[in-house]
Amino acid sequence: MSARNLIIAIVLGSALAAGIFVAARMNQPAALQHAFAVPIPQPLPAFTLIDQNGNAVTADTFRGQWDLVFFGFTNCPDICPTTLQILANAKRAFISAKIEVTPRIVLVSVDPERDTPEIMGKYVDYFGDGNLGVSGELAELTKFTAALGIYFEKMPAEGENYSVNHSAAVLVINPQGEFSALFSAPHDVSNYIHDLPILMGAD
Amino acid sequence: MQTFRIRIPVFLLSGILLAACNGEAEAPLVASDIVISEPPPGRAMSAGYLTLRNNANSVVRISGVDSPQFGFVEIHETRLDDGVARMLLVPELLIPAKSSVTLQPGGKHLMLMRPIGSPDKISLSFYDDETLLLSVQAPMTRRNN
Repeated sequence: MSARNLIIAIVLGSALAAGIFVAARMNQPAALQHAFAVPIPQPLPAFTLIDQNGNAVTADTFRGQWDLVFFGFTNCPDICPTTLQILANAKRAFISAKIEVTPRIVLVSVDPERDTPEIMGKYVDYFGDGNLGVSGELAELTKFTAALGIYFEKMPAEGENYSVNHSAAVLVINPQGEFSALFSAPHDVSNYIHDLPILMGAD
Repeated sequence: MQTFRIRIPVFLLSGILLAACNGEAEAPLVASDIVISEPPPGRAMSAGYLTLRNNANSVVRISGVDSPQFGFVEIHETRLDDGVARMLLVPELLIPAKSSVTLQPGGKHLMLMRPIGSPDKISLSFYDDETLLLSVQAPMTRRNN
């Protein structure tokens, strides 16, 4: 190979490498700013809970749509209604922006002792239409939460005024029914507006 | 050029002068940005948020809050430890001299329990033991969807 041909080969090779680099960058989805994407989405375990209409809630219930799942309880005055309102506002922003795929908002009660399906129904409806309120047997709830790394603990108190400590994250479950991402508290509507379209589009 | 004339009613002026005599030009404790959400349907509790400004030269201690529209009111704090939300009772709220404390979502807040009827206006009184420090009124905020 002559010196001239070698130079041409180097120039062409460099241009090709630069082109591949730029193309790879362009194909990369926008970066998540707040959410943590689970590297290998996790299927949900076997469990049977109950929704606000008395229907069984199983792993299959989470197939077919994007779900934003929060674990809380209806006697929680601060973080639970605040988080549900943030999720409702994010969903409303997607509808306003004509984003076709909107997530379903799911509240799973970590206080099934007090949160009957009827109470859950009134509560989740308060934050908009199409929300799912899940309660049921404690043993079944624990199967669901343990598999997802969700912690909750009833705090001892006198009578009915007890509180429940609980994980404050919002889990994202993809339409294949897999736990695919997580938003950590504190929550903010802008986090969802930025990251959810990336998560939902990347699937 | 426009001139602005500030008219201060005499009674207000005398109040200011009186306050000045006490060494205070402003009310010692002032509440602002009061938000009290209505309890969700069927729920007997709600949260209240506000900013409390202490204009005095000494610390203000709030050890009790009450409201005729609620069975009882406590100051609580949501604490996030390793991603877990915990609710703690705040037995006394201390506001340092010339400082503000903000009660806000995800932090310190008023826990308002057992609403009496469905009031549109809420009165809140803040106490240091038996001493009334401040009484304020605010509308009940309806959550909009």
